[in-house]
Amino acid sequence: MKFLKYITILSISTLLFSCSQNGKRLPFLGEMQTIDRMEGGKLVIDTFYQTIPNFSFVNQDSVVINNDSLKNSIYIADFFFTSCPSICPIMSKNMLSVYKKYKRNNEVRFLSHTIDPKHDTIPVLKKYANKLGVEGTQWSFLLGNRDTVYNIARHGYMNYAQENADIPGGVEHSGYFILVDKDRRIRGAYDGTDKQQVENLTNDIDILLNEYKSVKK
Amino acid sequence: MRRLLLPFFFCGLVIIIFLNACNEETIKYQSYYSSGSALYKTHCSNCHMDDGEGLEALIPPLTDTTFLKNNREKLACFIVYGLKDTIVINGKTYDGVMPAETHLAPIEIAKLLTYITNTFGNNQGIYELSEVEKNLRKCD
Repeated sequence: MKFLKYITILSISTLLFSCSQNGKRLPFLGEMQTIDRMEGGKLVIDTFYQTIPNFSFVNQDSVVINNDSLKNSIYIADFFFTSCPSICPIMSKNMLSVYKKYKRNNEVRFLSHTIDPKHDTIPVLKKYANKLGVEGTQWSFLLGNRDTVYNIARHGYMNYAQENADIPGGVEHSGYFILVDKDRRIRGAYDGTDKQQVENLTNDIDILLNEYKSVKK
Repeated sequence: MRRLLLPFFFCGLVIIIFLNACNEETIKYQSYYSSGSALYKTHCSNCHMDDGEGLEALIPPLTDTTFLKNNREKLACFIVYGLKDTIVINGKTYDGVMPAETHLAPIEIAKLLTYITNTFGNNQGIYELSEVEKNLRKCD
């Protein structure tokens, strides 16, 4: 009788576990392309999702960060500048809470691109990272050519950034956190100033990490 | 006589509370405080956060009551002209730049300071308009 009880509990818990996490997958965001081709007389449709284009930037430790350095990680990207008086501090605070949750888990990385390269030199970015309490390269603060960064914001991450002399700080930008998978595809976009959406982001990171775990098996 | 004492005492208490709530000073304080709260959301909370806790070692919190008390006369100047000096808050050093809010009127600053110096664990009473005007003339 006792044995039967154990079996029931065991099977129910396995069922619950398999339903809750493994089954769920995140959507693919951005433009989608399909290409039809014939294979062995049958029509095969290949789907291609939007991917982050090639990039190469330098981080707060003068280390080059490019697509290759991120191939084994999912990552969260955003756009900011250190002297930004508007939404950046809240974004940094929210990003910091996500960073703390995954600290030392190199499968999850963070890229914050400065959109004010004139002011945010490498020492300035280094100081910012230190003061925020960020160590190592898991969270990289990236410096790149202004137009290259604006371009990847718009065409890569579906974000925007542009100079505007009329607003405090001189540069305007959107405050989205973009979740990118190991194959450069965009899997989520979250308002970095909204606590609830940032919570959704951490949930989605877990789901995405799980997708890779189940693939490995 | 003894039986009457308690109701009498109670009525007295009610009257005192009632008078206090309608006191002109209190009404003024409450109106300053609530407009100050709205102004704080627009002009300050992006950096100092809704809970006044700031951001790590980058942006100082507004919870250092002693600092606010010792620098009471300079607070209006800090807001209007910004802050570049290194300051020590709750024992930690902050050397960032606080942007100037030159567009704020003295009455708005009085309301803001009333809110800040009476929230986040602070309790320093109303910050009068006359006090702001006087202090603004003394900015470095």
